[in-house]
Amino acid sequence: MPVDDIKPTRSGLLIVRRRMALAERVHRLLAMKLDGMMLELIKLADQAARERKELEEKYAAAREMVAVAAMMEGATGVLLAALSVEAAPTYTAGQKNVFGVCLPDLEPVMVKKTLDQRGYGILGTSSVIDDAADAYEDLLEAIIASAELEGSVKRLLDDIERTRRRVNALEFKVIPELTELRRFIEGQRDEMERQEWTRLRRIKKIKAKRG
Amino acid sequence: MREHEHEDVVVISPSCVYACTRFRVRKTKLLPREEYLRIMRMSMPEVVAHLGRQEDYQDVMDLAGEFSGAQLIEEAVNRSLARSFRSAMAIAPGDLHTLTGEYLARWDIANVMAILRGTVHNVPRRQVRDLLIPAGEIDSALLDHLLNLTACGEVLEALQGWRLYPVLAEYYRICGEKGVFARIENELYRRYYAGLLDLATSGCSGCQELIAYLRFEIDITNMKNLLRLHCAREACDITVVDRTMIPGGHIPLGLFRRLYDIETEEEFVSVFLQTAIVPILTQAVRELRQDPDFSSTDAAELVWRRWHRHLRPVHEVEIAITRVRLHQMESLSRRHPFSVLPVLAYLERKRYEVANLRAIARGKAFGLPSERIWQYIVT
Repeated sequence: MPVDDIKPTRSGLLIVRRRMALAERVHRLLAMKLDGMMLELIKLADQAARERKELEEKYAAAREMVAVAAMMEGATGVLLAALSVEAAPTYTAGQKNVFGVCLPDLEPVMVKKTLDQRGYGILGTSSVIDDAADAYEDLLEAIIASAELEGSVKRLLDDIERTRRRVNALEFKVIPELTELRRFIEGQRDEMERQEWTRLRRIKKIKAKRG
Repeated sequence: MREHEHEDVVVISPSCVYACTRFRVRKTKLLPREEYLRIMRMSMPEVVAHLGRQEDYQDVMDLAGEFSGAQLIEEAVNRSLARSFRSAMAIAPGDLHTLTGEYLARWDIANVMAILRGTVHNVPRRQVRDLLIPAGEIDSALLDHLLNLTACGEVLEALQGWRLYPVLAEYYRICGEKGVFARIENELYRRYYAGLLDLATSGCSGCQELIAYLRFEIDITNMKNLLRLHCAREACDITVVDRTMIPGGHIPLGLFRRLYDIETEEEFVSVFLQTAIVPILTQAVRELRQDPDFSSTDAAELVWRRWHRHLRPVHEVEIAITRVRLHQMESLSRRHPFSVLPVLAYLERKRYEVANLRAIARGKAFGLPSERIWQYIVT
């Protein structure tokens, strides 16, 4: 029933009180959820920043390793080793629930490989290729970890925004309106009671005069 | 090369003398140390212009429309390498020719593996073509023919005349089977060294020294690969060690197997000190660090520290060892001027000249400082 349709009656007052209680409970829960999500966001943002810094370091290390590999083996040697890769690295995408928010859960698949799994022959390559492969595998893993954390932060921020809007709506619109409505109904009912009392007194006086 | 022994007099064929002299002359035309220092100070366009003025690297101008920067230099030096090696094959007479051909077969292995992998993984033929260096026995025409084939079965059929074809026939049964290329590649290199050692034992002039050189190369390769296997993420079993070790070196394979299982410093150092690698490693690190007090035990402990922490060989030390080995090869080739050694000394020097120019170009392209690039230069 819309707020405007509620009549200033006892049942109307009961409806408003019930709605008030519900709104306050929801507000309290959402505020708690918001606090929880904020704490989780701070934790994830810190982790994401650390992970991003690590990613940048790993990127620089991988670039340097591939530079050394290209210097020692030539771009030809590096490309020949890259051509040998038989299983492409990938990831599986799952979800985890944090305060009712579905956060991405990415799991690297075939990113870190053993020498055997890389597909190139040990005798046809040198250790610099292993170093470059290791560096890029680490980088790829860091990219996946960073993507998971940054995706989580983004989703959490979206949900915090949505929840904050709800909390604000409850705090600054719904609850004040209901409070106002309750006050109005109570005022109306008091007025009606006073009118009724006055009417009864008047009837009583008239009856007394007639009697 | 034929040596005829008549009453203790060794007669060397004139064609061998002529060929060895030509290789020595060619070697003197290779870039000296000072030239690398000059090139290091140049910008990339200056390097390209400088190489364009060199007789050996005029390809750089022809390729300038197609490639640029470090890629252009790498393509040009690869072409120069292929041309020099093919010319070396043409000059070398008799046994020298056979030995040179066998020695250059390593380029064929790289080319064949690139074509097979490209065919199975459907890599664009042009991309594979750019990776090939026709410096071995398989010429450009055959490589182009192989590139035009679409099925690996056809590639194998076309390679029936290749000296290492039996390995392909033995190991390659199912097209695209996982892990088969690595196995084939390893086996091809094992057979390559076996063939080279067999040929070197035929008794040619300088062959004893060549065998010693090859055996040491095998030892170094085995040790490096043992370190690579040891530092791999998952411990490999002894069969993998056996599969990747090359037989024929000074150090028996049993010693490598023993080294692989050692986990205490004392035992490792004492076993490692028995190997022929120690003197060269000591000399290399001494020269690299300019530390005359660096001893054999220090060298063994250096290897142990890498081994214990599951780390791979230090690239700068690898390069330093290569430098020492090349100097040894050159002094041997001076001691045996009309043997297979001047040919190999030239081929090795040319190989590292190309590697040096490539390292300078790639290092500059990645913006590495000159001091860092210099560590990877073999002079």
